Amino acid sequence: MSNPVIFKRLRGQSIVILLALVILVFSLLSPGYFTTQNFLNILLQASGLTIVATGMTFVLLTAGIDLSVGSIMFVAGVISGKLVVGGLSVWLAVPVTLVLGIILGLMNGWFVVRFKIVPFIVTLATFFAGRGLGLLISETRAVNLPDEFLQIGSARILGIPLPVIIMIMVVAVAQLVLDRTVFGRQVYAVGNSQERSVKAGINLNRVLLRVYIICGCCAALGGLVAIAQLGAVSPTFGFQSEFMAIAAAVLGGTSLFGGKGRVFPGTLVGALLIQSIQSGLVIVNADPYLYPLITGTIIFLIVLVDSQRHYRRKQMKGIST
Amino acid sequence: MTKSPNIILYLCLVYYLAAALVTPGFFTVNNTWNLLYNLMPLLIVAVGQMLVILTAGIDLSVTAIIAVTSVVGGYIMSADYSPVDSSSLAIALGILGMVITGGIIGLINGISVAKLKMPAFMVTLTGLMFFGGFAVWLTKSQNIYNLPAGLVDMPYTSFLGLPLPIWTGLLVLGLIYLVLNKSLLGEWIYAVGVNPKTSRISGVNVDLTIIMVYMLSGVTAAIGSVLYTARLETGSPVMGQNLLLDVIGAVVIGGTSLFGGKGLLQWTVAGAFFMAMLDNSLNLAGLSYFLIMIVKGVIILSAAMLNVWGERKVIWSA
Repeated sequence: MSNPVIFKRLRGQSIVILLALVILVFSLLSPGYFTTQNFLNILLQASGLTIVATGMTFVLLTAGIDLSVGSIMFVAGVISGKLVVGGLSVWLAVPVTLVLGIILGLMNGWFVVRFKIVPFIVTLATFFAGRGLGLLISETRAVNLPDEFLQIGSARILGIPLPVIIMIMVVAVAQLVLDRTVFGRQVYAVGNSQERSVKAGINLNRVLLRVYIICGCCAALGGLVAIAQLGAVSPTFGFQSEFMAIAAAVLGGTSLFGGKGRVFPGTLVGALLIQSIQSGLVIVNADPYLYPLITGTIIFLIVLVDSQRHYRRKQMKGIST
Repeated sequence: MTKSPNIILYLCLVYYLAAALVTPGFFTVNNTWNLLYNLMPLLIVAVGQMLVILTAGIDLSVTAIIAVTSVVGGYIMSADYSPVDSSSLAIALGILGMVITGGIIGLINGISVAKLKMPAFMVTLTGLMFFGGFAVWLTKSQNIYNLPAGLVDMPYTSFLGLPLPIWTGLLVLGLIYLVLNKSLLGEWIYAVGVNPKTSRISGVNVDLTIIMVYMLSGVTAAIGSVLYTARLETGSPVMGQNLLLDVIGAVVIGGTSLFGGKGLLQWTVAGAFFMAMLDNSLNLAGLSYFLIMIVKGVIILSAAMLNVWGERKVIWSA
């Protein structure tokens, strides 16, 4: 108790301890796991998911949900690929794709605020429409990307891969926005109670519109970062990514019922946790058939431990009051 | 409970008439049977899902349950693997095994949510990963063929003039109707969805209610899987893979609130009918797979907009 602030912070972040535990177990299982190279790889491979999950966190904080992120990733990948193959410079294709993500996010948000349709249904519709659009443009074939794309994925600045730098920037900016801006506080307020936030004079529609735009833009960016490492966009790219993004945010402590959660360390750690498990399974040479079984089990156990801690703390609070 | 008539019922009717006028081959006896065959399993799985959503939970594992039970049923019934010789006994054991498997997975989900206090979304998401992966691992992604003729012919076997899948659907609907409207459990389900804390204080067995809805969801998913397995004549580890959002979509477009406590069985029936009709009519219209997805998205959105205009009130009850 000599340093109560740090103690308090750590207690709220049991997920960090669980991440350390996962890393420890895999390190004991395989000597190749606890290496700088592998950790860089985990960061690199987690970058796409982290960016998508960061946008998702904003939406979840308002008690919304965005099922369309996987489809937006897919459309973003297909369109940017087609643009670059068609002769457009990568440096133009990237902003065009981000604008596309913003437009799709804007559409989600617009239907949510203008027509008061539940976000689940709005984004379910864009989930279908986006996937269909991507398949239409790609003619349901894999889009092979030119080398310029792979160069982005493998570029390094001061030895750190570019996707990792993008990821760190997105996470940092997102958490600063949530902590230090009026908009950030409004996001939490809306998530806690829409009714009360409107009474407090918050422009509810503007806040909701913005979180869906942020989520759409992050999904497009995350998609770009992911395909820059893959080199091709398969017709199943981004399939069920919405669930992985939500899982990363929820593992990081974000509530699906709004008002509670952080991008840093929360969502970032959640995404790293998922990727650490997946990389670990590859390194220890697990049977690929067993990947989903083991990943599912480990995430289940992590959620179990985490919820037990929350529950016990709640009970203790209940007794003391 | 809200008393406002849910517009999804009218919407279904309007869409049905429009499709009958515009889409050649939609308003035929043949296609009507086709539509009903497609509807039944979706409907059965969706009403189970609705029970879970009424308690403010969600069951993402239903498609994995469909896959696992299809594989389990396949192993018990298929002539290639079956331990029993008599095919009618194999079918009985197979269906029983499928339902029990679905119930057990539902029990695991329910205990995790109710007793271990884990968030339903994460429990059932890991369930989706685990059991989906389990079905693939068990079969090494091979389909199971040579199912007994009795099962394969089941969709085309009639009893009192109605094919067996329709009877199955009606039976499940009837039972769920009784549970929701005539039983204590039904009252508890709505109470837990509105507010678990106050309902616990007023004597509702919250944990039991939550465990029951997940078990019922598991069992209905298994029954849906029996129909899918019979129809496709194979036990498949990827059965139902793309159905998840259709199932939850049917419930939510029917007007059931994802935040619990609000929803009626007939709304979900209409929602499932709408989703099945959508796929059926768009397929008949000869659209390509990707155009179907785009149009499906647009229609779901339009339906939701009409729904909101019809109610003239915010359905977002967060």
